[in-house]
Amino acid sequence: MTRWTLKLDGSHLPEKTLIGGKGWSVARMAALGLTVPPAFVITTEACTAYRGSKDYPEGLEAEIADGIAWLEQQTGRTYGRGPSPLLVSVRSGAAISMPGMMDTVLNMGITPDTETALAEECGDPVFARDTHRRFHELYAHIVLKTEAGEFSNDETAQDWAARIETASGRTLPADPADRLHAAVRAVFDSWDSRRAKRYRKHHDIPDDLGTAVVVQAMVFGNMGGTSGTGVMFSRNPIDGEPTVYGEFLANAQGEDVVSGKFTPQRLDTMLDALPEAHDALLRAARMLEIENRDVQDIEFTVQNGTLYLLQARAAKRAPEAALKIICDMLDEGTIDEKTALSRITPDQVRSLLAPRLPEGASARAKQLARGEAASPGIGIGTVVTDSDEAERRAKNGEAVILARATTSPDDLHGMIAALAVVTERGGSTSHAAVVSRALGVPCVTGCGEGSVTALAGRKVTVDGSGGLIFDGELPVQEPDETALSGLVRLTRIAERLSPVKVILPEDALGGALDLNRVEGGSEIENLPRLLTGIDIAGGGALADDKGIAAGLRAGLKTIVGRPRLPILLAAIRGARPSEDRDTVAVSATE
Amino acid sequence: MMKAPQLALHGLAIKKHGSAAEVARITGLSEEAVETHLSAAVTSGRAMKSGEKYMLTPTAQIALKSAYSRDFADERADAAFQATYDDFERINEQLKSLITEWQTIEVGGQSMPNDHSDPDHDARIIDRLGDLHERAEPILDRLAAGLPRLSVWKDLLLTALEKAEDGDVEWVSDAKCMSYHTAWFEMHEDLIRVLGRERLE
Repeated sequence: MTRWTLKLDGSHLPEKTLIGGKGWSVARMAALGLTVPPAFVITTEACTAYRGSKDYPEGLEAEIADGIAWLEQQTGRTYGRGPSPLLVSVRSGAAISMPGMMDTVLNMGITPDTETALAEECGDPVFARDTHRRFHELYAHIVLKTEAGEFSNDETAQDWAARIETASGRTLPADPADRLHAAVRAVFDSWDSRRAKRYRKHHDIPDDLGTAVVVQAMVFGNMGGTSGTGVMFSRNPIDGEPTVYGEFLANAQGEDVVSGKFTPQRLDTMLDALPEAHDALLRAARMLEIENRDVQDIEFTVQNGTLYLLQARAAKRAPEAALKIICDMLDEGTIDEKTALSRITPDQVRSLLAPRLPEGASARAKQLARGEAASPGIGIGTVVTDSDEAERRAKNGEAVILARATTSPDDLHGMIAALAVVTERGGSTSHAAVVSRALGVPCVTGCGEGSVTALAGRKVTVDGSGGLIFDGELPVQEPDETALSGLVRLTRIAERLSPVKVILPEDALGGALDLNRVEGGSEIENLPRLLTGIDIAGGGALADDKGIAAGLRAGLKTIVGRPRLPILLAAIRGARPSEDRDTVAVSATE
Repeated sequence: MMKAPQLALHGLAIKKHGSAAEVARITGLSEEAVETHLSAAVTSGRAMKSGEKYMLTPTAQIALKSAYSRDFADERADAAFQATYDDFERINEQLKSLITEWQTIEVGGQSMPNDHSDPDHDARIIDRLGDLHERAEPILDRLAAGLPRLSVWKDLLLTALEKAEDGDVEWVSDAKCMSYHTAWFEMHEDLIRVLGRERLE
């Protein structure tokens, strides 16, 4: 019987208050019979004891050593030495997730010796080197919260350690066991960080709950031809088709997929080399989707033929997919009507109804430039290359497109005035992209030197979703909410569940208060005053989801607007304060 | 060392189009002082005023920039300050990617706008912004050791961060308020002007 630690082997499911949300997710997947990398958890009680004395409680150090020994036995690997080194991840996890808690440290257990062993084992010295360097970067960033700059693979581990010491004023222990203890202490200390304390105060969470620490064996997808890594969705998250969708990269680690060094293959490429793992993955996806009644996004690694599930959560989905999945799951009887409405946001419906180029229109049009699709939407207007001019001409009612080599804060007023922003340099993180998205203005970046400023004075159509600029004014299509069968169906359900009626402006018969015509009608804080004694209103601040919620609180019975479905959805969401949706899907059925 | 009248103009150049209160907030000058200096600039034809907001004239912008090498000679000659700025640039790259993650989500390998419908997703990014802020703090302290008025940025950033942490998500990157990204960007602009560096993109 252990006092401070628990093995997450799936044989039982301890309380979240004891093992934290992350530990609970691992235990839950194991309890479902799914294969997860072996893990043990240091409980919240250990944290509480540590906070009292600012030191490990009696027996914790020995229990951590036992936990590591158990991971060694489960994996057939050894911590801190070869020939098959065990590396672990260390992550914080309270029962309630909160900000300010220590982030995950990976590759714990790597040393100059185990780097050599790992290089031999996977036959990839560069990977072993990257793993070693990455550990130092994470230790500096996460455990010591310092910016020690970028480390290079050409430096030695001593160089890295020295730079960490210079930047942080603290030393990196040489012994992998001491490093693990330092990370565990950093997790415990993060419970009392500025952000965590503030969050608990704000949300009335007791200070003495404490956080757990999950120590989990790392698995490797780059151990040869029967290994690999990937992501799978239980349904297609782009169009919503009920077929699995995903990517797989043979003989690679997760970072390889993210880094873009390699192009992932379609999921079915797993079938040839790893038919059993592919099968197990399909079974796991089905099981998790049924358990959680929602589309799953599953991260996995195959190590020497064995499938390991790393994480499963409710999948993010495109607006088109959200609609299709709702209709399919209603037909299947998987979800009820109330759940159906919670699975699509007012903004997703608005985006389904946003103006777009008709199918095939872009093929017939003359393309003037192409760049990165940095912010979606269609903008049509005359190209202007100066922000002051853009602002002036827009004030005179002209539709303008701002074209700049690159933008800076000096261009903000021009970007606000423009119907689209296009630039010659920069990618999806450039100033133009970031600010355009914040403003909701379509934007195409990085079209190439001299490409877009040369269009000054011309009328163009900018397609921010496609990253394209076309000559002239293209026809734009506005989808109709009464012509899409899925939306019609959701509208009927929403009408029944909505706390207010929503009618079209032409049906209001002049009896409605138009907030667009009332002084201060676009400010949410004025709504309680303006709507006193009013039953029916529209426009102004009621065009915004928060405004709709405020209108409900002010006693509104009917809202006037178009399209109707987003208003209905916003009213339903506004009427019941949104429950925190647990994105760790495995815990969603709790 | 920059004198107060010039500093008011410098603050206005960063703001581009701002009220005396807004310029005061980022320069550490009092609002009254800024009002006095900017009104004087209007009288002498170096600035324009419409409503509450001021704007530098094009010639005043050029004059301001050409005087920077003299105004900020000490900072430009300070090797430690220059090196700290390089550290800042590194963390600036991380901030830009984080803001991009805030604004766009990945769906099956395609990126689309974050509609902020998933509070957990937003909370995770705000949490990472807090991590980044903690790593940035020592750098901001070092910059303020070289040029004390720069300490206002740390306060503006923390204010925006705490508002975002309290659930006002527009304080992360909204372009129309002193959000974290707005403050960061204006601070970057300040540093670029002080050191005569170039913005990369």
